[in-house]
Amino acid sequence: MPTLNSPEVAAISDLDGSASQLPDFSSASYKDAYSRINAIVIEGEQEAHDNYISLGTLIPDQAEELKGLARMEMKHMKGFTACGNNLGVTADMDFARTFFAPLHGNFQQALKEGKVVTCLLIQALLIEAFAISAYHIYIPVADPFARKITEGVVKDEYTHLNYGQEWLKANFEASKDELMEANKVNLPLIRSMLEEVAKDAAVLHMEKEDLIEDFLIAYQEALNEIGFSSRDIARMAAAALAV
Amino acid sequence: MFGLIGHSTSFEAARRKASELGFDHIAEGDLDVWCSAPPQLVENVEVTSPTGKVITGAYIDSCFVPEMLSRFKTARRKVLNAMELAQKKGINITALGGFTSIIFENFNLLQHQHVRSTTLEWERFTTGNTHTAWVISRQVENNAPLLGIDLSKAKVAVVGATGDIGSAVCRWLANRTGVGELLLVARQQQPLLDLQQELGGGRILTLDEALPEADVVVWVASMPRTLEIDAASLRKPCLMIDGGYPKNLDAKVAGDGVHVLKGGIVEFGSDIGWSMMEIAEMEKPQRQMFACFAEAMLLEFEECHTNFSWGRNNITLEKMDFIGAASVRHGFSTLNLKSQLQAAAA
Repeated sequence: MPTLNSPEVAAISDLDGSASQLPDFSSASYKDAYSRINAIVIEGEQEAHDNYISLGTLIPDQAEELKGLARMEMKHMKGFTACGNNLGVTADMDFARTFFAPLHGNFQQALKEGKVVTCLLIQALLIEAFAISAYHIYIPVADPFARKITEGVVKDEYTHLNYGQEWLKANFEASKDELMEANKVNLPLIRSMLEEVAKDAAVLHMEKEDLIEDFLIAYQEALNEIGFSSRDIARMAAAALAV
Repeated sequence: MFGLIGHSTSFEAARRKASELGFDHIAEGDLDVWCSAPPQLVENVEVTSPTGKVITGAYIDSCFVPEMLSRFKTARRKVLNAMELAQKKGINITALGGFTSIIFENFNLLQHQHVRSTTLEWERFTTGNTHTAWVISRQVENNAPLLGIDLSKAKVAVVGATGDIGSAVCRWLANRTGVGELLLVARQQQPLLDLQQELGGGRILTLDEALPEADVVVWVASMPRTLEIDAASLRKPCLMIDGGYPKNLDAKVAGDGVHVLKGGIVEFGSDIGWSMMEIAEMEKPQRQMFACFAEAMLLEFEECHTNFSWGRNNITLEKMDFIGAASVRHGFSTLNLKSQLQAAAA
């Protein structure tokens, strides 16, 4: 068993400095990776906007509140578009649309079938938890302009995660089975999306291990808040850990 | 509410435990999977003091395993995420067990007070080192006489003397116990000189010089795997208290007049309905635990919600008195040789 006196540990204990070092925002490799990551974020915010508007048709009595959330997502989309422009990067929107296609398809299918619970799980839990964790990890390694914008966005996203949480909590017993099923189908998609983005994220100094753990923390917290037991949650989350 | 942040002693043990708890998907995962696994609150417990006071607590597994020590950023994240979870659960006082406090201290996590949207409140955490130091000191006082060692004449070596626990043990042995002579062993010279001055005595020696002279050896440094101890050169009898983490001294030297006692372990007076001490490989997992964990319970019993043990070299005799008195009052006893000798005889 290694101890803190082991040579392999002694050798790495001074890594702290390099971990917090910022990437070179003007390098070609950074801009190349950013063109895809930035596009994913812009597309994600656009999808979120559309999804909240759609959800309003399934929950008409909350359509106004959902419109409010959708407006925020539109504001975020504009903010992130500005981040790309600021670095002189053109977002690769074709890549982003392909990236979101499977999840987009599942949301549209659930919408057609009137499955509110599945729609909420996809948008208000999975996508929001994914966004929150990624933004948290991005903030310390972002360029100053993007950092400011992202910090503002994170605060809003918590209110969105909270919206889904509250609705599902209030309807927990009736939603439980559908949530389990929707989790089984959609969580693996999030995992493959994380895998797909890992290489580009690493160029931005965002590590896959961090992304996965932080996503799971946010997602598990939401499931816990809704009413699932720790054991149920660990079982549900396992779908994200197993590749 | 009190909290304990712990972890398994090895990756294999962690997988076994996860499988027992029914988390098969995680149990089957490789080390990379575990590196991305978030901390889990795995158990809630209720503990009743002989005074009648009842407290509740929670055990949080950080999903850290010692195999991650060579992954600096992973180890750091595991500790910070487990602390964040404890705070979010509203736990008043949480002990950092096993490698958790060592990582916190050695990787300087005080710089990382912000975890996502949470600002860690340090006053909610304790290293538990004050209680550990008091327990180890009491283990010396209780067990040396059992082996016929007269402490007032004995030479007591403290290996890791300048550390947080080591220096507190030295302070206690010099001022309260009154041992024959303290042998101070540590890697760095200047802190040793400072300690010697503070104590007004004690002899600074290398490990090789100290071992053949010592009637009692207190280990409070984690031991390198490669360390070889020549059992033949040790005094007989010799009491060795293994207060380091992990505890791996037994296999190296025990036997033939050399008695090894697990240091910094306490036993509660009645069974605690938990399963998590099994992963710490305690002999009696329903009652025994690390003294650092017990410190969180004691602080909760005493409603002393503060980072009682924090930073380095802040452990005073007065603090040891306070936590020692609480330990006795609330039904904890220190692990002694007698039970170990009986177990060996059986």
